[in-house]
Amino acid sequence: MAQAVQRLVGKVPTLVNAAVTYSRPRLSTFWYYARVELVPPTPAEIRKAIEGATNLVKGYQSGRLAQTTVKDALRNGLVATEVLMWFYIGECIGKGGIVGYNV
Amino acid sequence: MVPPVVVSPLIKTTRWSALLLGMIYGRQRFNYLKPIAEEERRIEEAEKAAREEQERIYKQLSEANADTILK
Repeated sequence: MAQAVQRLVGKVPTLVNAAVTYSRPRLSTFWYYARVELVPPTPAEIRKAIEGATNLVKGYQSGRLAQTTVKDALRNGLVATEVLMWFYIGECIGKGGIVGYNV
Repeated sequence: MVPPVVVSPLIKTTRWSALLLGMIYGRQRFNYLKPIAEEERRIEEAEKAAREEQERIYKQLSEANADTILK
């Protein structure tokens, strides 16, 4: 029993090393994309975002949005769903758990 | 590797504000549900004590009243 525990403890550094060497290139590619795509918006970008929102409203009022193709509409729907999922991830962070509220 | 996509600012702001709103909503709902759950737990414990007492009395009575030749 004690020998099994010792052998296990001896294996832990090799396991950690293997995990690090496995994850390092994948982490670097993730970081490479995340640094451009997932950063929070700067204040200048927030202003451009408000402009983009008003453009959307104007496009809806002028009827331009009725001219979107089905392919574009599906793509925009997917992007909107992804943005919605961030809300639920935030809710999980706020309630301190993944499934349900641990009251 | 494919170069990273330049994400439109509208999508970026809506993503991160959705994240923030979600965190706030989760925290507020948790704080709302927590005292309700504690109250329910308290009531459940009190009722459980009363119920077990009833069950104990019922069991004793049924054992005393059971007519069997196996005693």
